[in-house]
Amino acid sequence: MASAASPGDEGGASGGGSDKAEPGTSADNSSTGAFECNICLDTAKDAVVSMCGHLFCWPCLHQWLETRPNRQLCPVCKAGISKDKVIPLYGRGSTNQQDPRDKIPPRPQGQRSEPETNTNFPGFGFADAGFQMSFGIGAFPFGFFASTFTNGNNLNTGRPPAPAPGTPQFQEDQFLNKIFLWVAMLFIFWLLIA
Amino acid sequence: MALLKDPPSGVEIDMNKISSNLSEWIVDVTGAAGTNYEGETFQLQFKFGPRYPFDSPQVLFIGSNIPVHPHVYSNGHICLSILTDDWSPALSVQSVCLSIVSMLSSCKEKKRPPDNAFYVKTCSKNPKKTRWWYHGKF
Repeated sequence: MASAASPGDEGGASGGGSDKAEPGTSADNSSTGAFECNICLDTAKDAVVSMCGHLFCWPCLHQWLETRPNRQLCPVCKAGISKDKVIPLYGRGSTNQQDPRDKIPPRPQGQRSEPETNTNFPGFGFADAGFQMSFGIGAFPFGFFASTFTNGNNLNTGRPPAPAPGTPQFQEDQFLNKIFLWVAMLFIFWLLIA
Repeated sequence: MALLKDPPSGVEIDMNKISSNLSEWIVDVTGAAGTNYEGETFQLQFKFGPRYPFDSPQVLFIGSNIPVHPHVYSNGHICLSILTDDWSPALSVQSVCLSIVSMLSSCKEKKRPPDNAFYVKTCSKNPKKTRWWYHGKF
């Protein structure tokens, strides 16, 4: 669209100062050119910069990303690009300029990573948790099998004897046995799936 | 669009103001020196749709002299990936012209595409509606 304006400028300066007009325009270009959006070629509004270093208006870039959602490439260098890999640029005083853009989602937030502190605790804690986890999984089924096996064959003398058949206690025992068996099967099934 | 004002017209591009209501441009392109097309002049027609920077312009050779090239059909349609699939909104008229001149320049042998006769008979008027298969390095 700026090309429509440029012939008018030249016409105005055509009185013999055409040589003067050219340096003027080139100076304009050099001062603003570094911050032009690569898509609309105007000075970037709501500027964002890609990881590959290319500057865009966020509305322009967003529209481009929407145009090809399954193939998001940087318009300039065709590097991979995406919404969350784009960094907003905040100039001084630019936060006051807020124009409500209904369709366009807000610019992605800047990410601030905390400075690194050297503490040894996190690594140690992770190792500990891993150890406990593996131990629990390994130990539980074996203990369970052992107890059911010994109970079924009545070899365990340390425990109270199994209740006589027919009594309500016997039925309860059978019921509990079944429940535990099902729980164990579910657990093993879960282990296999996971 | 402002990129093609006047200064940076690079190698061999000059604007004809004839049909420029800004949605339709005609650009004269000259074959690069030292190539098969040296000294020849071609006319390229650019048509910009309403979604222009995000959608590629329709570009084809027009006029009496259509280059004989394995990627250019005799009706002026150009098989060039940046005109459809690989279009990028950062491409300008200048860079498209440069790509086309470069495509012409890298040609070893002046001949039409192998399926020229069939394509010209069956194709749509708009080259962007063609489902191009890109073989070459362009």
